[in-house]
Amino acid sequence: MSAHTTTTADVHGHVDTDHIHGHDHHHEPTWMETYIFSTDHKTIAKQFLITGMFWGIVGGLLSVLFRLQLGWPNDTFPFLETFLGKWAEGGKISNEFYLAMVTMHGTILVFFVLTGGLSGTFANLLIPYQIGARDMASGFINMLSYWFFFAASIVLFTSFFVQTGPASGGWTAYPPLNGMRDIAINKGSGLGFDLWALAMTFFIISSLLGGLNYVATILNLRTKGMGMMKLPLTIWAFMFTAILGILSFPALLAGVALLEFDRLLGTSFYLNMIVVNGHLLDYRGGSPILFQHLFWFLGHPEVYIIILPAMGIVSEVLSVHSRKPIFGYRAMVVSIMAIVVISFLVWAHHMFVTGLNPNLAAVFVLFTLLIAVPSAIKVFNWIGTIWKGSIRLTVPMLFAIGFVSMFISGGLTGLMLGNSPIDIQLHDTYFVVAHFHIVMGVAAFFGMFAGVYHWFPRFYGRFMNDTLGYIHFYVTLIGGYAIFFPMHFMTGLPRRYYTFANFETFNNFNFLTQFISVAAIVVFLAQLIFVVNFFYSIFKGRKVDVERTEGEHTYGNPWEGTTLEWTAPIERIHGNWAGEIPSVYRWPYDYSVNDKPYISQNTPLAPGEVEHT
Amino acid sequence: MNRTIAMKSGDDGYMQELKGSTEYTGVHPQKFALWLGMASMTMFFAALTSALILKKGDFKSWENFRLPSIFMASTAVIIGVSIAMHAALISYRRAKFAAFRWLFALGFVLAFAFLLMQWLGFRALADMGFPLTGNIAGQFVYLMAIVHGAHIAIALLVTAIVLILAIRARRDPLYELKDVINPKRKLHMELLVTFWHYIDIVWIYLYLFLYFNYR
Ligand code: HEM
Ligand SMILES: [Cu+2]
Repeated sequence: MSAHTTTTADVHGHVDTDHIHGHDHHHEPTWMETYIFSTDHKTIAKQFLITGMFWGIVGGLLSVLFRLQLGWPNDTFPFLETFLGKWAEGGKISNEFYLAMVTMHGTILVFFVLTGGLSGTFANLLIPYQIGARDMASGFINMLSYWFFFAASIVLFTSFFVQTGPASGGWTAYPPLNGMRDIAINKGSGLGFDLWALAMTFFIISSLLGGLNYVATILNLRTKGMGMMKLPLTIWAFMFTAILGILSFPALLAGVALLEFDRLLGTSFYLNMIVVNGHLLDYRGGSPILFQHLFWFLGHPEVYIIILPAMGIVSEVLSVHSRKPIFGYRAMVVSIMAIVVISFLVWAHHMFVTGLNPNLAAVFVLFTLLIAVPSAIKVFNWIGTIWKGSIRLTVPMLFAIGFVSMFISGGLTGLMLGNSPIDIQLHDTYFVVAHFHIVMGVAAFFGMFAGVYHWFPRFYGRFMNDTLGYIHFYVTLIGGYAIFFPMHFMTGLPRRYYTFANFETFNNFNFLTQFISVAAIVVFLAQLIFVVNFFYSIFKGRKVDVERTEGEHTYGNPWEGTTLEWTAPIERIHGNWAGEIPSVYRWPYDYSVNDKPYISQNTPLAPGEVEHT
Repeated sequence: MNRTIAMKSGDDGYMQELKGSTEYTGVHPQKFALWLGMASMTMFFAALTSALILKKGDFKSWENFRLPSIFMASTAVIIGVSIAMHAALISYRRAKFAAFRWLFALGFVLAFAFLLMQWLGFRALADMGFPLTGNIAGQFVYLMAIVHGAHIAIALLVTAIVLILAIRARRDPLYELKDVINPKRKLHMELLVTFWHYIDIVWIYLYLFLYFNYR
């Protein structure tokens, strides 16, 4: 103990060391330290999840509101005025607020729910548990990561309440619309956009801090025997997601920094010869296309930052619930790497109509089509995994299967859009909206739901309610297709329009538009079932069966999984394992082998057993 | 106990523990995280410099633009920062705390001087007829110096805190010795000095980049 006394001045600095030893605490964490400023990865995961759910509801509600406008452009909804005040005078959503809602919906869902909420939740929960670590490499940085996310959330939420409203120039924030603080052109380009930029800056810092920690933890804190090729695919996915974020988010930060220079300091990086109300402004020499390059250099990797964690979760869930080893583990890992590399080389497929040199466009077409190869390999392997498995159609399994279905449907339209001659026709129409909502929006949500239902017992020691889960799944699956499938046939219909009532040509889409709006409302309500189920189950859900009790801790393996998170006590304890951290002897997918239903990763090889490689 | 052994070897006890029980890269996780962070910052500056290259292709007025010479002087100063910080770290490792304090303070002052010189550079630019809102070629110089300066400011802030702690620390040789055998503190010093080197090199890169683009 003498060593400890000499370093008492530095007790705080050594807290992590002590935890690794499994020593007693020097002081009991206070309520504040346990629930609010916690450095425990499990608590931080919950904080990300619950914040993400909050944003999910806000973002979803916005879409319901603008679907009301799209579906019934000539009607009024007096109750809206009660809630939205001047944004919906006479019960009719204003043009400006419509654009603000579309913008905020995109920002919230893409960044705050499907990046922060998804990666933040599952990377935090699963990395230490599945690699066999007491916690993250730096609990403090991890905590900072959440609180930057929280700060970003507060700033973004505040922007709803400023006089001129939140940002309204699209989630892609293109200049020149967003490049000047001129509210005469666009109200959302005022203070609302500055708050958007500040929120995004905090958000980027949050995701960088989180990412550094995830990678450092995965590479340095794996338990004994946990070689890289014994990592569950979830962990591979989280690691490459973090790397992708570390290398691509800075480009967006640079893009937004230049934007704020233009807006606040009067530079003209993105602005040139702007004419407003017949006046030629002083800006010279800038180019709005420059922003698009910086934005999409992040923007495309970003869509994979969203989908890779979902893919990792789905790989795991499919294998566990079909009681079969994952098909093509190595191919899965290599595909993830290939996706990461290629996703840096395709950004200009979002810019085919910007006057891009067609020869250059051809290069981007090539890489874009190439990225479909690793994606297709993954799809093939998922199907191979469940093929002839003893499938248990649990709720997480259904969501995982739903993910694969959505990913295929949306991926096919990606291939179409990846060809510049086709894209030039389809760009900025509802066809694109259909593509990315199916492949990214719905699919990533399905991955996230699969994860929540699957690891809820790890979070809370209880299951979520099955019946509510099944209702949630089927309504969301059918409803999701009902919303987005018809959009494929709305070719020519431009996205982000407030109303089509003035365009004779588009009248034939009126029925579909209304149908989509109804489906959107139904799907939104189904998500409330999920929210109710979630909170109800925290307190009242069926408890995980206890298989054995050791000392004060109980153990159980709710899905009969092989990975390390199920070897830890059902109770969530600081440091994760009561005694020593288990060592690892085998890969994570030993299902239905050696006449056993499953073999945990910490079970030594039987005499004569050949290790899976 | 393990901790005692760890201290004798001068290692962070944490690392000893990792060696004993985990698969790892051999680099302290926090150093590892800093390197990743530097990779990220590199992407940030790379994005800015690529933006300049992209812009340069289609604008003529770059031709009569010259970088004010004060930036050459500030580049020399920032090299001085790196040297002072490195020497400070070496003194710290050898438990020469008086030298450490002086060198560390010198590094701090030089870095502060660097920021002032950048500001003088802005004044020089404006005098040459390139205010912030003027020619786009000039705007890029402001941009790079400001965002780089923001990184310097953060490093200065952390350095100021450490400096105050170092100056206020008890000048008792035995008490001070504890600092050397305190691996956490040594690690933090190393992280801080590594960051200084990094951000100094970034400026040298930016300077050379601007210099050759505006020739
Ligand atoms: C099979 C591979 C894929 C290909 C070839 C592909 C191709 C494309 C192309 C060419 C566009 C531009 C359409 C336009 O604006 O005109 C696009 C848009 C988009 N894609 Fe994909 N995509 C693929 C997979 C994905 C995946 C996996 C995601 C997300 C997880 C995704 C998310 C998006 C998003 C968010 C947009 C629209 C962004 C916006 O304009 O607001 N795509 N895709
Ligand atoms: Cu893309």
